Amino acid sequence: MEKDLNPPERKLKCDDVSKCFQLLESILDGQEQSDSNGTLDHKLAKCQPCFEYYNLEQAIREVLKTKCTKQPVPSELASNIRQKIEEIK
Amino acid sequence: MTFLSKISYNLSQLVFLKLMSEVQRKKYSDKDKNDIFDNEFMPHIDSMYNFGYRLTFDEDDAKDLVQDTYLKAYRFINSFEKGTNAKAWLFRILKNSFINEYRKKSKQPAKVDYQEVETYYNSDSVDYNITSDLRVDTVKDMIGDEISNALNSLAVDFRTVIILCDLEGFTYEEMAKILDIPIGTVRSRLHRARNLLKDKLRSYAQDMGYDTDNED
Repeated sequence: MEKDLNPPERKLKCDDVSKCFQLLESILDGQEQSDSNGTLDHKLAKCQPCFEYYNLEQAIREVLKTKCTKQPVPSELASNIRQKIEEIK
Repeated sequence: MTFLSKISYNLSQLVFLKLMSEVQRKKYSDKDKNDIFDNEFMPHIDSMYNFGYRLTFDEDDAKDLVQDTYLKAYRFINSFEKGTNAKAWLFRILKNSFINEYRKKSKQPAKVDYQEVETYYNSDSVDYNITSDLRVDTVKDMIGDEISNALNSLAVDFRTVIILCDLEGFTYEEMAKILDIPIGTVRSRLHRARNLLKDKLRSYAQDMGYDTDNED
Protein backbone atom coordinates (compact mmCIF):
# COMPACT_ATOMS: atom_id res chain seq x y z
CA MET A 1 0.00 0.00 0.00
CA GLU A 2 1.08 3.60 0.40
CA LYS A 3 3.64 2.68 3.06
CA ASP A 4 5.73 1.15 0.30
CA LEU A 5 5.89 4.30 -1.81
CA ASN A 6 8.83 5.03 -3.99
CA PRO A 7 11.25 2.13 -3.51
CA PRO A 8 14.49 2.71 -5.43
CA GLU A 9 13.77 0.25 -8.25
CA ARG A 10 10.52 1.93 -9.38
CA LYS A 11 10.59 4.24 -12.38
CA LEU A 12 9.21 7.68 -11.58
CA LYS A 13 7.88 8.14 -15.10
CA CYS A 14 5.65 5.69 -16.94
CA ASP A 15 6.65 4.93 -20.55
CA ASP A 16 3.06 4.58 -21.77
CA VAL A 17 0.55 6.05 -19.36
CA SER A 18 -2.45 5.58 -21.66
CA LYS A 19 -1.84 1.90 -22.33
CA CYS A 20 -0.88 1.09 -18.75
CA PHE A 21 -3.71 2.96 -17.04
CA GLN A 22 -6.28 1.49 -19.41
CA LEU A 23 -4.95 -2.00 -18.66
CA LEU A 24 -5.01 -1.33 -14.91
CA GLU A 25 -8.62 -0.14 -15.12
CA SER A 26 -9.59 -3.24 -17.09
CA ILE A 27 -7.95 -5.51 -14.52
CA LEU A 28 -9.66 -3.73 -11.63
CA ASP A 29 -13.00 -3.97 -13.45
CA GLY A 30 -12.48 -7.69 -13.96
CA GLN A 31 -12.32 -7.38 -17.75
CA GLU A 32 -8.89 -8.92 -18.29
CA GLN A 33 -7.99 -12.62 -18.31
CA SER A 34 -6.34 -13.97 -15.19
CA ASP A 35 -2.89 -14.15 -16.86
CA SER A 36 -2.86 -10.35 -16.88
CA ASN A 37 -2.63 -10.52 -13.12
CA GLY A 38 0.68 -12.34 -13.42
CA THR A 39 2.22 -9.28 -15.03
CA LEU A 40 0.42 -6.93 -12.66
CA ASP A 41 2.72 -7.39 -9.67
CA HIS A 42 5.74 -6.96 -11.92
CA LYS A 43 4.33 -3.78 -13.44
CA LEU A 44 3.42 -2.29 -10.06
CA ALA A 45 6.83 -3.15 -8.64
CA LYS A 46 8.60 -1.35 -11.47
CA CYS A 47 6.55 1.79 -12.09
CA GLN A 48 5.62 4.39 -9.48
CA PRO A 49 2.83 6.14 -11.49
CA CYS A 50 1.20 2.75 -12.23
CA PHE A 51 1.56 1.72 -8.57
CA GLU A 52 -0.10 4.92 -7.33
CA TYR A 53 -2.81 4.89 -10.00
CA TYR A 54 -3.69 1.26 -9.30
CA ASN A 55 -3.96 1.79 -5.54
CA LEU A 56 -6.10 4.92 -5.85
CA GLU A 57 -8.43 3.36 -8.42
CA GLN A 58 -8.72 0.24 -6.25
CA ALA A 59 -9.54 2.33 -3.16
CA ILE A 60 -12.23 4.28 -5.04
CA ARG A 61 -13.90 1.09 -6.27
CA GLU A 62 -13.73 -0.36 -2.77
CA VAL A 63 -15.35 2.63 -1.01
CA LEU A 64 -18.05 2.87 -3.69
CA LYS A 65 -18.84 -0.80 -3.20
CA THR A 66 -18.80 -0.81 0.58
CA LYS A 67 -19.76 2.68 1.73
CA CYS A 68 -22.41 4.03 -0.65
CA THR A 69 -25.67 4.58 1.18
CA LYS A 70 -28.33 2.03 0.29
CA GLN A 71 -32.03 2.85 0.33
CA PRO A 72 -34.31 0.31 1.97
CA VAL A 73 -36.95 -0.97 -0.45
CA PRO A 74 -40.41 0.26 0.62
CA SER A 75 -42.19 -2.68 2.20
CA GLU A 76 -45.32 -2.31 0.07
CA LEU A 77 -43.51 -2.20 -3.29
CA ALA A 78 -43.33 -5.95 -3.94
CA SER A 79 -46.97 -6.50 -2.98
CA ASN A 80 -48.08 -3.54 -5.12
CA ILE A 81 -46.25 -5.00 -8.10
CA ARG A 82 -47.84 -8.42 -7.57
CA GLN A 83 -51.26 -6.81 -7.27
CA LYS A 84 -50.78 -4.90 -10.55
CA ILE A 85 -49.62 -8.09 -12.26
CA GLU A 86 -52.79 -9.89 -11.12
CA GLU A 87 -54.85 -7.05 -12.62
CA ILE A 88 -53.26 -7.37 -16.07
CA LYS A 89 -53.34 -11.18 -16.20
CA MET B 1 -36.08 20.67 -25.25
CA THR B 2 -32.89 21.38 -27.21
CA PHE B 3 -32.16 19.90 -30.63
CA LEU B 4 -29.59 17.52 -29.14
CA SER B 5 -31.97 16.43 -26.40
CA LYS B 6 -34.68 15.80 -29.01
CA ILE B 7 -32.36 13.60 -31.08
CA SER B 8 -31.27 11.72 -27.99
CA TYR B 9 -34.88 11.30 -26.85
CA ASN B 10 -36.09 10.07 -30.25
CA LEU B 11 -33.22 7.61 -30.51
CA SER B 12 -33.93 6.19 -27.09
CA GLN B 13 -37.63 5.89 -28.00
CA LEU B 14 -36.67 3.85 -31.07
CA VAL B 15 -34.35 1.64 -29.07
CA PHE B 16 -37.03 1.09 -26.46
CA LEU B 17 -39.65 0.17 -29.05
CA LYS B 18 -37.18 -2.22 -30.65
CA LEU B 19 -36.48 -3.81 -27.30
CA MET B 20 -40.15 -4.26 -26.57
CA SER B 21 -41.04 -5.55 -30.03
CA GLU B 22 -38.27 -8.13 -30.17
CA VAL B 23 -39.45 -11.40 -31.63
CA GLN B 24 -41.02 -13.41 -28.87
CA ARG B 25 -38.85 -16.48 -28.64
CA LYS B 26 -40.85 -18.32 -26.03
CA LYS B 27 -44.42 -19.15 -25.29
CA TYR B 28 -44.44 -19.67 -21.56
CA SER B 29 -47.32 -21.24 -19.65
CA ASP B 30 -48.81 -19.20 -16.80
CA LYS B 31 -46.94 -21.41 -14.35
CA ASP B 32 -43.63 -20.78 -16.14
CA LYS B 33 -44.33 -17.06 -16.20
CA ASN B 34 -44.96 -17.03 -12.48
CA ASP B 35 -41.83 -19.10 -11.82
CA ILE B 36 -39.66 -16.75 -13.87
CA PHE B 37 -41.22 -13.70 -12.29
CA ASP B 38 -40.85 -14.96 -8.73
CA ASN B 39 -37.48 -16.68 -9.00
CA GLU B 40 -35.60 -14.65 -11.62
CA PHE B 41 -37.13 -11.16 -11.58
CA MET B 42 -38.25 -10.40 -8.05
CA PRO B 43 -34.91 -11.22 -6.32
CA HIS B 44 -33.51 -8.09 -8.02
CA ILE B 45 -36.04 -5.66 -6.56
CA ASP B 46 -33.52 -4.28 -4.07
CA SER B 47 -30.95 -3.42 -6.76
CA MET B 48 -33.70 -2.14 -9.05
CA TYR B 49 -35.12 0.20 -6.42
CA ASN B 50 -31.69 1.55 -5.53
CA PHE B 51 -30.90 2.10 -9.21
CA GLY B 52 -34.22 3.93 -9.63
CA TYR B 53 -33.56 6.01 -6.54
CA ARG B 54 -30.04 6.93 -7.63
CA LEU B 55 -31.40 8.07 -10.99
CA THR B 56 -34.29 10.14 -9.65
CA PHE B 57 -33.40 10.96 -6.00
CA ASP B 58 -37.09 10.58 -5.21
CA GLU B 59 -38.76 7.67 -3.41
CA ASP B 60 -42.06 7.92 -5.27
CA ASP B 61 -40.41 8.23 -8.66
CA ALA B 62 -38.15 5.30 -7.86
CA LYS B 63 -41.16 3.20 -6.82
CA ASP B 64 -43.02 4.15 -10.02
CA LEU B 65 -40.02 3.32 -12.16
CA VAL B 66 -39.54 -0.08 -10.55
CA GLN B 67 -43.24 -0.93 -10.68
CA ASP B 68 -43.42 0.14 -14.32
CA THR B 69 -40.33 -1.94 -15.11
CA TYR B 70 -41.78 -5.08 -13.52
CA LEU B 71 -45.09 -4.63 -15.32
CA LYS B 72 -43.28 -4.30 -18.65
CA ALA B 73 -41.10 -7.28 -17.77
CA TYR B 74 -44.20 -9.39 -17.16
CA ARG B 75 -45.97 -8.13 -20.27
CA PHE B 76 -42.96 -8.95 -22.46
CA ILE B 77 -41.85 -12.03 -20.54
CA ASN B 78 -41.89 -14.13 -23.73
CA SER B 79 -38.94 -12.04 -24.98
CA PHE B 80 -36.91 -13.19 -21.99
CA GLU B 81 -35.08 -16.48 -22.18
CA LYS B 82 -35.36 -18.35 -18.92
CA GLY B 83 -32.06 -18.75 -17.09
CA THR B 84 -30.32 -15.87 -18.91
CA ASN B 85 -29.24 -12.59 -17.33
CA ALA B 86 -32.49 -11.35 -15.79
CA LYS B 87 -30.81 -8.57 -13.83
CA ALA B 88 -29.26 -6.99 -16.94
CA TRP B 89 -32.57 -7.38 -18.83
CA LEU B 90 -34.49 -5.64 -16.03
CA PHE B 91 -31.91 -2.87 -15.70
CA ARG B 92 -32.14 -2.21 -19.42
CA ILE B 93 -35.92 -1.83 -19.21
CA LEU B 94 -35.64 0.45 -16.18
CA LYS B 95 -33.01 2.62 -17.84
CA ASN B 96 -35.18 2.99 -20.96
CA SER B 97 -38.25 3.79 -18.87
CA PHE B 98 -36.26 6.45 -17.07
CA ILE B 99 -35.13 8.05 -20.34
CA ASN B 100 -38.50 7.83 -22.06
CA GLU B 101 -40.88 8.62 -19.27
CA TYR B 102 -39.20 10.18 -16.28
CA ARG B 103 -37.00 12.58 -18.25
CA LYS B 104 -39.97 13.52 -20.44
CA LYS B 105 -42.06 14.34 -17.37
CA SER B 106 -39.28 16.33 -15.77
CA LYS B 107 -40.01 20.03 -15.78
CA GLN B 108 -36.34 20.90 -15.54
CA PRO B 109 -35.12 22.72 -18.65
CA ALA B 110 -32.93 20.53 -20.82
CA LYS B 111 -29.36 21.64 -20.67
CA VAL B 112 -26.40 20.62 -22.74
CA ASP B 113 -23.43 19.83 -20.62
CA TYR B 114 -20.00 20.04 -22.25
CA GLN B 115 -18.89 16.76 -20.73
CA GLU B 116 -22.04 15.11 -22.00
CA VAL B 117 -21.50 16.39 -25.55
CA GLU B 118 -17.92 15.24 -25.39
CA THR B 119 -19.07 11.80 -24.29
CA TYR B 120 -21.39 11.39 -27.25
CA TYR B 121 -19.24 12.89 -29.98
CA ASN B 122 -15.73 12.03 -28.91
CA SER B 123 -16.67 8.91 -27.15
CA ASP B 124 -13.77 6.52 -27.45
CA SER B 125 -10.71 8.73 -27.22
CA VAL B 126 -9.58 9.05 -23.66
CA ASP B 127 -6.70 11.01 -22.31
CA TYR B 128 -5.08 9.00 -19.53
CA ASN B 129 -3.13 11.52 -17.51
CA ILE B 130 -1.70 11.58 -14.05
CA THR B 131 -3.88 14.35 -12.71
CA SER B 132 -5.06 13.18 -9.33
CA ASP B 133 -3.35 14.28 -6.16
CA LEU B 134 -5.94 12.44 -4.09
CA ARG B 135 -4.43 10.13 -1.49
CA VAL B 136 -5.51 6.52 -1.03
CA ASP B 137 -5.82 6.93 2.74
CA THR B 138 -7.95 10.05 2.29
CA VAL B 139 -10.40 8.10 0.13
CA LYS B 140 -10.49 5.22 2.61
CA ASP B 141 -11.15 7.60 5.52
CA MET B 142 -14.23 9.14 3.89
CA ILE B 143 -17.62 8.25 5.27
CA GLY B 144 -20.50 6.82 3.27
CA ASP B 145 -22.35 10.12 2.98
CA GLU B 146 -19.36 11.83 1.41
CA ILE B 147 -18.92 9.05 -1.11
CA SER B 148 -22.65 8.96 -1.90
CA ASN B 149 -22.87 12.75 -2.23
CA ALA B 150 -19.91 12.81 -4.61
CA LEU B 151 -21.49 10.09 -6.74
CA ASN B 152 -24.91 11.76 -6.69
CA SER B 153 -23.45 15.07 -7.83
CA LEU B 154 -22.29 13.59 -11.15
CA ALA B 155 -24.35 14.06 -14.34
CA VAL B 156 -26.74 11.16 -14.80
CA ASP B 157 -24.82 9.45 -17.64
CA PHE B 158 -21.61 9.40 -15.61
CA ARG B 159 -23.41 8.42 -12.41
CA THR B 160 -25.09 5.54 -14.23
CA VAL B 161 -21.90 3.84 -15.44
CA ILE B 162 -20.38 3.96 -11.96
CA ILE B 163 -23.55 2.52 -10.42
CA LEU B 164 -23.69 -0.28 -12.97
CA CYS B 165 -19.99 -1.16 -12.76
CA ASP B 166 -18.93 -0.52 -9.18
CA LEU B 167 -22.14 -0.91 -7.22
CA GLU B 168 -23.91 -3.57 -9.25
CA GLY B 169 -20.92 -5.41 -10.69
CA PHE B 170 -21.98 -5.53 -14.33
CA THR B 171 -19.33 -6.32 -16.95
CA TYR B 172 -18.50 -3.86 -19.74
CA GLU B 173 -20.40 -6.12 -22.14
CA GLU B 174 -23.51 -6.15 -19.96
CA MET B 175 -23.29 -2.39 -19.51
CA ALA B 176 -23.02 -1.92 -23.28
CA LYS B 177 -26.28 -3.85 -23.69
CA ILE B 178 -28.06 -2.07 -20.85
CA LEU B 179 -27.04 1.36 -22.13
CA ASP B 180 -27.14 0.61 -25.87
CA ILE B 181 -23.64 1.94 -26.42
CA PRO B 182 -20.43 0.32 -27.73
CA ILE B 183 -18.00 -1.25 -25.24
CA GLY B 184 -15.38 1.39 -26.12
CA THR B 185 -17.81 4.07 -25.03
CA VAL B 186 -18.52 2.20 -21.79
CA ARG B 187 -14.80 2.17 -21.06
CA SER B 188 -14.22 5.84 -21.88
CA ARG B 189 -17.35 7.02 -20.07
CA LEU B 190 -16.33 5.06 -16.97
CA HIS B 191 -12.87 6.58 -17.07
CA ARG B 192 -14.29 10.10 -17.32
CA ALA B 193 -16.87 9.39 -14.64
CA ARG B 194 -14.22 8.21 -12.19
CA ASN B 195 -12.05 11.24 -12.93
CA LEU B 196 -15.00 13.52 -12.21
CA LEU B 197 -15.66 11.55 -9.02
CA LYS B 198 -12.03 12.02 -7.96
CA ASP B 199 -12.42 15.78 -8.49
CA LYS B 200 -15.46 15.78 -6.20
CA LEU B 201 -13.74 13.65 -3.58
CA ARG B 202 -10.66 15.87 -3.68
CA SER B 203 -12.78 18.93 -3.15
CA TYR B 204 -14.63 17.27 -0.24
CA ALA B 205 -11.27 16.29 1.23
CA GLN B 206 -10.00 19.85 1.07
CA ASP B 207 -13.22 21.26 2.54
CA MET B 208 -13.12 18.76 5.39
CA GLY B 209 -9.44 19.34 6.11
CA TYR B 210 -8.30 15.88 5.03
CA ASP B 211 -4.72 15.66 3.87
CA THR B 212 -4.19 16.01 0.12
CA ASP B 213 -1.00 16.54 -1.86
CA ASN B 214 -2.45 19.82 -3.09
CA GLU B 215 -2.21 21.53 0.25
CA ASP B 216 1.55 21.97 0.33
